[in-house]
Amino acid sequence: MHGAASDAGVSNGARLLAFTEAVMCDDEAALARERAALRAVLTPNCFVDVAGVIAAFNVVDRVADATGIPLDDMLLAASAGLREQLGLSRFASAANTPGGR
Amino acid sequence: MATFDSSGVGVPAFEDLRVAHHHLLEHIRAPGSWWSGAQRVAIAAESRQATSCGLCIRRKAALSPTHIEGVHDTLGTVPASAVDVIHRVRTDPGRLSRSWFESIVPARLSDGEYVELVSVVALTAGLDFFARALGIPPYPLPDALPGDPSRYRPAFARGGTAWVPMVACEDASGAEADLYEGLAFVPNIVRALSLVPREVKALQCSSAAHYLPVKDIVDPAARRSLDRPQMELVAARVSALNQCFY
Repeated sequence: MHGAASDAGVSNGARLLAFTEAVMCDDEAALARERAALRAVLTPNCFVDVAGVIAAFNVVDRVADATGIPLDDMLLAASAGLREQLGLSRFASAANTPGGR
Repeated sequence: MATFDSSGVGVPAFEDLRVAHHHLLEHIRAPGSWWSGAQRVAIAAESRQATSCGLCIRRKAALSPTHIEGVHDTLGTVPASAVDVIHRVRTDPGRLSRSWFESIVPARLSDGEYVELVSVVALTAGLDFFARALGIPPYPLPDALPGDPSRYRPAFARGGTAWVPMVACEDASGAEADLYEGLAFVPNIVRALSLVPREVKALQCSSAAHYLPVKDIVDPAARRSLDRPQMELVAARVSALNQCFY
């Protein structure tokens, strides 16, 4: 687990992060625990939406990293500060974007 | 129709998700541009197999995946040239590199075969993660549809931007005229699979069903039942865990 403790100022953020990490890891007991905890605070519709977003970005990330696309110029400029703050240039796939590293 | 069984987990059975998942499974089992339906279903099955592959688990835990040698635990139903690609795209996509790609294409796979394979692996991963998140079994993979690959290649796919050739917005004409239809801004992720145009449509289907229609992504007011900051928090965490810069 990667232990995201903050809620990032987002409603139920800490629960969302803990559940997302559990889905992405192999600890089945943790996943069951975090699923139950998240379902206790979200509506069923919202819970399905969380599953959907996790699905969507597991598709997008694989397509992006396996095709070597660069970050779009518009997004590159808009996200410079955030990328530095989060240290995203440490990811190997940053090499696909001129100026990403 | 293959759909997710939500009856035991107390979540709504959304019709739009049922339709989208059915569409994606039909897409996977149909002949593509470079792989037959049987090969595409085999690629999807191998993608699932990769999640329990001992070599992939050791590589994922290693400082560098290239330092770990061994043999993949494979189902043996896809060409040997495709096994390592499927396993690495499924289990460790954040550490793929241009030099690795250039060792694969064109020596072991054509660029079209590679792009189509990446799409099938990624779409399968998405369906599997959806089921895992809900706590339901993964979909059974469908039986393949008969037929040969079309071997269709867009006339105007060009290299230079990404590792793979893509169709630029200004070149999307003729058979590709509707490829980016309705999009004021076409991000590279939408163009990434354009060497195999059917896969662009499948990616858009996945995005619309699970996240947002591509045309709405740049609208900060666009959302689902979950509010947009919640959606973006989950998306960002997934991408960080996948080590995806994009």
